[in-house]
Amino acid sequence: MNPIVRVEHLRKVYRVGKEKVVALNDVSLGILPGEVCCIVGASGSGKSTLLNQLAGLEKPTKGKVYIGQHEISAMTENELAKFRQAHLGFIFQSYNLLPNLTAVENVAMPLMFKGVGRKERTKQAMAQLKRMGLAKRANHKPTEMSGGQQQRVGIARAFVLKPKVIFADEPTGNLDTKTTRQVLYRMLAMAKENGTTFVMVTHEKDLAGCADRVITIQDGNVLSDIVVDEETKAKNRAQMFAGVEENLVPDEPVAAQPDTPDTKKSEEK
Amino acid sequence: MKISDLLKLSTDNLRRRKGRTVLTLIGVVIGTCLIVVMISLGIALNQQYEGMLRSYGDLTKIQVYNYTYSGGGNNENAPPVLDDKMLETFKQIPHVIAATPQYQPSNLSAQLYAGKGDRYQTYFNVNGMDPASLEAMGITLVSGGYLSADQTTTSKNKIPVLVGENFGYSFEDTRKSYNSGKRYVYQGQLDANGNPVPPFVDINKDKMILRMSDNAENNPKTREYELVVVGVMKSDYNAGYFTDSGIVMSIADVKKLEQAYQKLTGSKGGNSYMVSSTGGLMREKDNGYNNVYIKVDDVDNVADVEQQIKDLGYKEIQSLSQVREQMQGQVRKQQLTLGGLAAVSLLVAALNIANTMTMAIYERTKEIGVMKVLGCELGKIRGMFLIESGAIGFLGGVVGVVISYVVSFIINNLQTIIMFLGLQNQQNGEMGYDSMGMMGGGMMGGASSIIPWWLVVGAILFATLVGLVSGAVPANKAVKISALEAIRRE
Repeated sequence: MNPIVRVEHLRKVYRVGKEKVVALNDVSLGILPGEVCCIVGASGSGKSTLLNQLAGLEKPTKGKVYIGQHEISAMTENELAKFRQAHLGFIFQSYNLLPNLTAVENVAMPLMFKGVGRKERTKQAMAQLKRMGLAKRANHKPTEMSGGQQQRVGIARAFVLKPKVIFADEPTGNLDTKTTRQVLYRMLAMAKENGTTFVMVTHEKDLAGCADRVITIQDGNVLSDIVVDEETKAKNRAQMFAGVEENLVPDEPVAAQPDTPDTKKSEEK
Repeated sequence: MKISDLLKLSTDNLRRRKGRTVLTLIGVVIGTCLIVVMISLGIALNQQYEGMLRSYGDLTKIQVYNYTYSGGGNNENAPPVLDDKMLETFKQIPHVIAATPQYQPSNLSAQLYAGKGDRYQTYFNVNGMDPASLEAMGITLVSGGYLSADQTTTSKNKIPVLVGENFGYSFEDTRKSYNSGKRYVYQGQLDANGNPVPPFVDINKDKMILRMSDNAENNPKTREYELVVVGVMKSDYNAGYFTDSGIVMSIADVKKLEQAYQKLTGSKGGNSYMVSSTGGLMREKDNGYNNVYIKVDDVDNVADVEQQIKDLGYKEIQSLSQVREQMQGQVRKQQLTLGGLAAVSLLVAALNIANTMTMAIYERTKEIGVMKVLGCELGKIRGMFLIESGAIGFLGGVVGVVISYVVSFIINNLQTIIMFLGLQNQQNGEMGYDSMGMMGGGMMGGASSIIPWWLVVGAILFATLVGLVSGAVPANKAVKISALEAIRRE
């Protein structure tokens, strides 16, 4: 199988004042379609820089990045915007929901950019929110939701266009352990369901254990690129998600309720 | 992304920052309002001038004089002969509708008689004009028809004429003594019962005889013609004083009468020299008209036609459009000064918009970054901000125009309003007819602020343009924001 994400001799140098900082030295790698890939490494190792290059958020100093047949490192910003619209999804550490839009409007945003009509995109966004167990929160603003809920809205937004590849930068970085497991479970389930390639940066080793492929970055170089064998993966996942499945409240986990008066009202409904 | 979605995003953003939007709007409103009111004042001024000019006479008429100030009697500067041939040349100039002299023969004296036994009498004063030019020269008729070119001298001694509607009043009763008040009837004269007194001669019914004589002491030779009134001219001093109580006939008929008179008396019209008011010698050309009137189809073509006539050699040309141009120049200067002041305030408003939009972009940097990462095209982001700034301009323009109408109304009715307030203050005062009369007078004075439709449309478009232009720099800034840095920002 040909890799869907392919990197050739990637090098990224930042200029900080007069000094040059080499964030990525010489990275080459490939990620297969449908894989869940974790990029791990200590902070400052260059893993976030790598993800930004893969997603086309930054131009590399040297080297090429391909997604499918397209060399995204050579695209103009407008081409990239269209390409992202068609093929890529993003999940951020700080959720990055638009604070003035409701959950359902946030999820529907990529559809709006694509030109889908209001009715149709609301329908699709609602379906996605339901999958995330957030149907009742659809008309809430991000400030009226907990971190876990916000991130689930973020996930719904990333998946709503059924992209080929989703990039996630420390998606659970701001969440507690319990919520982390639930969010991770949801992400993996969705990726599998849609056959989406899922590329995630994390510094938590145990999260990486659940991935199909773990790429470790150190000092701007690939330290290791391991395809986890099925047995270990199954064991890690079982351990990780023990109890999550039963506890996976289809809607509104009580622990994650922020104490806004608005929330209470919706509970009573 | 659909336009409707883009519009909604922009308007939502404006609504969210209500306070700031309103403050920015006020700036645009004041700017637009000032510009509209200033221009409306200028337009009203211009119209008042135009009205004034129109009361002086027809703007599209040119008067060409057949003389020049020639030094020492040499004729080098003399204009070419102003005869019927030259008239035809004038008529060939583009935009010229008609050309005619108002020919008053110098060598023709005769009397007009009417009534039984030639009781009523007046001096014969005639204007010879080109029959085809009468309507173009602004002569309107109360009754009857115009002279037509083939109507000249229907029979040997009958001459078709147009007379002024008050021509009848120029006759005097020869049976009354010169000292008697009854020798004349004036227009507007009332009898004892307050009814207007009719003139001695009814121009529509009574037969009028033109008689010329060689004034010989014994057995004077005379010649008689009958004047047939084919039309009665409406009195209009803009078209000429002769429309009130004068006679118009075709040039050919006037010349025929002139010849007949010369034959009768044996006198010949010689060259006449006149001394101008400045002491220079004005030379009247042989066999040429003193002056000729030319009618142009549109005010805007007058200057053009004037130039062509000058090229033909006539230096002494007069038209009201020369005065008009001077006046317009003055008004334009005033308008520019007023408009310039107003433009400064709109410039301030534009800076205000730019500032507001820049602030909005700083606030929404992260939002812009997220939108970019999620696949929003750059053009749409620019469009979003341009719509916002354009909307501020548009709304400000609309509100500004509405307020301008209010201001304009107040300016136009200032007297009435002051009067009304005055009435309130002096309720015991006897303000009956007087104040009503003054109120009427105030309104008669003409509007001092006029807002035509194009000014409304122009002002709104201009305000929108100002919004768009001042939003362009911030919008481009928004487009250039690095998505990565934007989403990293907290």
